[in-house]
Amino acid sequence: MTIVERVERARRTLRAAAIAAVVLRGVAVALAVLLLAATADAFVALPAGARDLVPLAALLASLLPIMRRLRRLGIRSDALSAALWIESRFPALRYALVTAVDPRYSGRVPEIERAAAAVPFEPVVKTAARRALTGPAIAVVVTALVLLMLPAGAVARVVRPAAGDALDRARAGSRTNPLATVVVRVTPPAYASLRAESFDNPASVRSLVGSAVIVEGVMGDGAVVATIGDSRTTATPNGDRWRLSLAMPATPTAVRFRAAAHERLLVLEPAPDSAPVVVLTLPARDSILRRATGRVRLTATATDDYGLASGAFELIVSSGGGENFTFKSRTLGAATFSSKTGELAASISLDSIGLQPGDMLHLRAVVRDRNDVSGPGVGTSDTRTLRIARTDEYDSVAVDPAPPPEAEKNALSQRMLRMMAQALEKKRPNISRAALVTESRSIALDQTRLRKRIGEIVFTRLGEDTGEEGDAVQKRLDKPVNADSVLAAADRVANEAAGTALEGDHDETPLLAVNRPLLEAYNAMWSASSELEVGDPAKAIPFMKKALDALQAARSAERIYLRGRTRAVVVDIERVRLQGTDKGKPAGRTPRLAADPARDKRIERFDAALLLVRTAPSAAVDSLLLLRLDLLDRDISAARAIEAAANALRGGHDATNALIRARRAIASAPAASTALSAWGSPP
Amino acid sequence: MSTAPDFTFCTVQYDSGDWDSAPLVSANLIDSVARYTSISVAPTGVTVPLGSTELFKYPLAYLTGHLPVRFSDLERRMLREYCDRGGMLFVDDHNHDVDGVFHKSAVEEITRAIAPLKELANTHALYSSFFKFEDGPPTTTHELNGWGDNLVHKHLLAVQRGDRIAVLYSSKDYSSEWGYHPDNKRFLSIDNTKFGVNIIVYALTR
Repeated sequence: MTIVERVERARRTLRAAAIAAVVLRGVAVALAVLLLAATADAFVALPAGARDLVPLAALLASLLPIMRRLRRLGIRSDALSAALWIESRFPALRYALVTAVDPRYSGRVPEIERAAAAVPFEPVVKTAARRALTGPAIAVVVTALVLLMLPAGAVARVVRPAAGDALDRARAGSRTNPLATVVVRVTPPAYASLRAESFDNPASVRSLVGSAVIVEGVMGDGAVVATIGDSRTTATPNGDRWRLSLAMPATPTAVRFRAAAHERLLVLEPAPDSAPVVVLTLPARDSILRRATGRVRLTATATDDYGLASGAFELIVSSGGGENFTFKSRTLGAATFSSKTGELAASISLDSIGLQPGDMLHLRAVVRDRNDVSGPGVGTSDTRTLRIARTDEYDSVAVDPAPPPEAEKNALSQRMLRMMAQALEKKRPNISRAALVTESRSIALDQTRLRKRIGEIVFTRLGEDTGEEGDAVQKRLDKPVNADSVLAAADRVANEAAGTALEGDHDETPLLAVNRPLLEAYNAMWSASSELEVGDPAKAIPFMKKALDALQAARSAERIYLRGRTRAVVVDIERVRLQGTDKGKPAGRTPRLAADPARDKRIERFDAALLLVRTAPSAAVDSLLLLRLDLLDRDISAARAIEAAANALRGGHDATNALIRARRAIASAPAASTALSAWGSPP
Repeated sequence: MSTAPDFTFCTVQYDSGDWDSAPLVSANLIDSVARYTSISVAPTGVTVPLGSTELFKYPLAYLTGHLPVRFSDLERRMLREYCDRGGMLFVDDHNHDVDGVFHKSAVEEITRAIAPLKELANTHALYSSFFKFEDGPPTTTHELNGWGDNLVHKHLLAVQRGDRIAVLYSSKDYSSEWGYHPDNKRFLSIDNTKFGVNIIVYALTR
């Protein structure tokens, strides 16, 4: 190996050692920055924003000196510099080595090269390289060891800061306040397709109804108990932490956590999931049609904040007039959606609906969103009405009705009985058989009572006594009464009462035809009461429905209305003035208040909370949070201002400005309207 | 010199449905107001479109019908503003049927335009604003006769703004109960329109 090659080798060794030393120093600086930040965070919780900057600061702190040093190394890394470095360690060379590696004299003076080659400088180079690396390496090892000795979470908080890592710095196992630091993880319902979020020490959490809310803290003094209204839930221990799972309620709710003498409030604030916004674009307006023929095109658009699920057009056909309307409804153009916007389109043939003159067709679009937790939210469009003109549209008869008839008070209605049976059937899985039979028989008793009343009406019409139900029939049967026998007997009675059946009507008599709906109702009621007697409301409900339908049919068949346009009535005020025999007593007039009367109370509560700020800050924060809870559904801006103030107080920051803004938001000037008329006077 | 009356009965005309299904109610209640109180009252009622600012002249507005109620955007906005300005809307289901289309659609529209209806306590000031109704809203003969839903409704529904009623909703069919010519009151042993006087007095004094 020539002297030039030996010097070049020494140069590479020295250069590599210098670079490695610089890098090690940079790493040590970076670790030192992390160590400093983690240590500071352990004593004073660094805000998330500051912790976000720590990795960047560590990187810059290490890179800047490395770059500067490497640039300097680049200038000095030629063979002459290495030779000079060796000459400084071996003065006896008297520049022989520098001359030997100088390209201008290389190979020209063999004596100089021989003298230089005789000096063994390699061990000195290796020693120098080792010394250069030792210090930085020790620094790296020491800082790394110290970092490793810190709690794992403490380093993670500065290396990978993330929301919800507040618990990482809290010391576990010590007898401290377990409510001092809490982390709330919120997972919205799946239908919303939103990401889960974590919050460190939040005063309130806002998310969709039904979101999973998990509250975590570090174990400390006593068990953590959460109180919501009257219900209490104890937190579950999980290693050195406690955990409590809640669900976001439908209304703003305060959760009060207690552990030994410690207390903390968390407000659960449900975020609304808006119903879809639906616009019916066709038909564009209401109209009156002369004839119900042709096709009508229907189109609608819908949008939703989290996603649409399905939609359809809803049709209601109303027929009749006055007091007697019938309604038919149906849907068409059903569609499903998979995005936040959608369109509905369909067409309807008016001929197929069978509209009659005077009928009205009400059209609207109904769209549901994907909310399968508190919904679905249903959005409806405006309704368009298509009316079929009547031929006698302008005919009218003025009829003054008679006073209302006497009231029927002593029997439960068939509809009520059916609703009771349905309710009983619904709760059937949750009650004992004995309770079911007792309640079922109670309904059966009322059903029997109503059936007897119907029987009285039927047999009164047939000219029989109105005494005990079925007496007239019983006289003719001389055998046990049941529904079929009563119906058959009624038929015979009707035949006798009406004489010979009319010609061409061999199946039933006219009298029986009139009473048939009531007899059907009677029959169905009998079957219903039989089922109810044995405690089987499920089998009774169809009979009760049949009875109700029959009663409705009877009522529609027999009610006759004569109705037209009523004359405008002008009351003779002077004639009737104070002619009433009953004397009322007007209550004292309450003057209309200029502003929300609850506002003063809210201001009082706010001022009371302010008084606590110096003496009991946590109590002041709790008072403010409860006040915010009351304001959530009536004054959202004031609620937000209070939240900011509470957060500032809880974080130990100067809350003066936030409190001033909150006070102004609560005590906003009352809005006055100038458009009110001078209304009324005390009677 | 004649002065404008303190109270004019106002019937709301809305675009959908049969808003004019109870034309005699206004005359009957006007008669009752004159019969029992000294309130200066106009001898005939007025009909005001719901989408009109004319509505703001009247402290009480009466709305009824049998058919589905669908408000237009304008009607919804005007109704909201009417209630914001202190007006009181009295809605009565002429079908007296909680399963009926009027009830379902009207409740839906009121919820959409103003706020959800809630049960009004039977001790509310409405029931003692002039005559005393110890048991809350008086029962109608139509309820007792088993028409409509065959139910006797124990409460009226209302939307309240602060301590006053903004919307009063009845499923009791007072529109049928009071839908007769005032001259026929002589046939009644007990005047069944007295509760109407309470509603009017309440609307004028709150």
